Amino acid sequence: MNLTRFLSIVGFITCFSLLYVYQQTEIFRLAYTGQKKEVVFQDLLDKNYVLKYNIKSGASLTRIGNKISGSNDFQMPDTYRLVRLAPTRDGFRLNNQPAGRETLLSKIFGVKRQAEARTITP
Amino acid sequence: MYISDYRRRCEAVFLFFLIFLLFCIARLFYVQFFRFNYLAEIARKQHNLFVELEPRRGTIFDSNLKPQAVNIPVDSLYASPNSIKEKDKEFVIGKLSSILSVNSSYLRQRLSRKKSFIWLARKITPEQSEAIKQLKIKGLGFIKESKRSYPNSYLASHILGFAGVDNTGLEGMELYLDKYLKGEQGWGIYLRDARQNKLDLWQQMVLPKDGYDVVLTIDEVIQYIAERELDKAFKTHNAKGACIVVMDPHTGAILALANRPTYDLNNHADVNKDITRNRALCDMFEPGSVFKVVTASAAIEEKKVKEEDRFFCENGEYRVANHILHDHEPKGWLSFREVIEESSNIGTVKVAQILGPEVVYRYMKLFGFGSKTGIDMLGEINGVAKPPKQWSKVSISAIPIGQEVGVTAIQLAAAYSVFANGGQLMRPYIIQEIRDKQGEVIKRNSPVMTNKTLSLDTASRIRKILTGVVEEGTGRLAKIEGLSAAGKTGTAQKLEPNGTYSHSKFVGSFIGFAPAEEPLVTIVVMVDEPHPNYYGGVVAAPVFKSVAHDAVKYLKTMQRDREVVALNENKRIY
Repeated sequence: MNLTRFLSIVGFITCFSLLYVYQQTEIFRLAYTGQKKEVVFQDLLDKNYVLKYNIKSGASLTRIGNKISGSNDFQMPDTYRLVRLAPTRDGFRLNNQPAGRETLLSKIFGVKRQAEARTITP
Repeated sequence: MYISDYRRRCEAVFLFFLIFLLFCIARLFYVQFFRFNYLAEIARKQHNLFVELEPRRGTIFDSNLKPQAVNIPVDSLYASPNSIKEKDKEFVIGKLSSILSVNSSYLRQRLSRKKSFIWLARKITPEQSEAIKQLKIKGLGFIKESKRSYPNSYLASHILGFAGVDNTGLEGMELYLDKYLKGEQGWGIYLRDARQNKLDLWQQMVLPKDGYDVVLTIDEVIQYIAERELDKAFKTHNAKGACIVVMDPHTGAILALANRPTYDLNNHADVNKDITRNRALCDMFEPGSVFKVVTASAAIEEKKVKEEDRFFCENGEYRVANHILHDHEPKGWLSFREVIEESSNIGTVKVAQILGPEVVYRYMKLFGFGSKTGIDMLGEINGVAKPPKQWSKVSISAIPIGQEVGVTAIQLAAAYSVFANGGQLMRPYIIQEIRDKQGEVIKRNSPVMTNKTLSLDTASRIRKILTGVVEEGTGRLAKIEGLSAAGKTGTAQKLEPNGTYSHSKFVGSFIGFAPAEEPLVTIVVMVDEPHPNYYGGVVAAPVFKSVAHDAVKYLKTMQRDREVVALNENKRIY
């Protein structure tokens, strides 16, 4: 085997080995980086769980209800006193009737329910 | 000569390196073939870390999927006593003692151990954890663990129960459904670096299987209403105990169940066992007058009596064998309907005498007394219902009016639902379904009819009589404005240790359903040893009124909401 071929083979094996070592160290480096990010991410997730729990606990009937009961005689309202709200782009709108579709006919001939004031007799 | 000397020196150097090379080869051979397993094991221990992966315990929801029992990640504090300097230990103990509210002698004892790892406090609050982290003490560390928490604190405490520090169920549903909730542990073999830091690379891993979620039949809102009113009665009447059961009479689904005294599920460590027991299932009591409906139902079903048949109530005193029976108020002639409305003991016993012990006992069993209801909860007892061969001569004057009988609140709820649903004894149940994390239902409970107890006609007639009890009888304080209700009051003397009936200890109860025509809820209210008032019509009936009033309105609103949603969905299809 001549010298040139020997040196090229050795060079190739050395480069390949260096690449392999570099790959392995990269894996570990990424593992360390991932670990650091995972700690931060996990911490945020945990805080999220705790916050959600605190909100749920703070808004629980036992907490709110006891506060209300302390100052008022709270009673379940009748259905006629309840107002339903439907979400829209600008906020909320009253939604006491089931949402119906406006047809062309009703648009042209104005066949719509007129707004009316009704006295509710419980 | 010079050449031969040079040659000899070269040969000597060559020989030296040859021997060294042979030695290295031999050493390599020895290490590779004879010491391989031992050294590989050491390397494996250094590089690998076996970690148990804790599964997430399943969540318990109410019927509207509002979480009642959840897991939150919390820190557990550990110490490496060997890493804490002696001169710093007192400072550490002082600081930790005030933050954790723990005895300093306990901490001193823990930190004096010659170990590299000891627990100091498990599952501490985020505030405590933050305060300790701020101290930046070397030798203290945190491990993330999952803590079982209950956002509604004491609500439904006797249903949910609680899990221990290792997330194992110890009471209530947490214990009953532990095998579904706990999941399966996983494990992983992680790589470690030279500083023993765990890397996020694993050689092998078996993922933990999270626990199943449980959906109960209880409604958080109705549960709150029931507990609020029960609390008022418990405190107002200085009672020893109290319980309430709200049930759907058509299906047997439990909408609410509560006991007093109660406890905070997030602070259950030092709670007395007497407080954690579920009175609605475990406590047996003599029902008194509420049991008269069994006698009345038997009389109508067997066609022995009609509502307008008249009975002479002996002006308040009636002898049966060697026992004199009394009414709470002397009465003369009463119709059968009035006997129940006015809760006459004498009238009821006369009806029972017409029926006979065998028929009375048969109907007791048809109504489910003397047997477990089969509710899917722990701790239920049978109660007591003596067969006729064990009756004494005076039993005919006792059992039909609810003495010498032992019942539980849940049995009474199931029994009264018979009148509300047209004659069927439904098995009470509290677990609606069990589902996996993807929402796939793996087990679902359906309504089960235990007995066809009465005909539709009899159930309807008894319902009318019970409506009269509320409208004009002893249950007037249960009357609800704008809503019809039906029910029965009960005031039973408790037994003293010497076997005689007490004159100062009573159990006041009211059992009913509303609305009377199309019942949505059956409610049992039981107040143990109220004083100074003790009549069921005074202590328990107002609780029924308030709970039924709010619960029925709430259910009607929810029903209407579901109809509107269904209607809207249909409209969108067109």
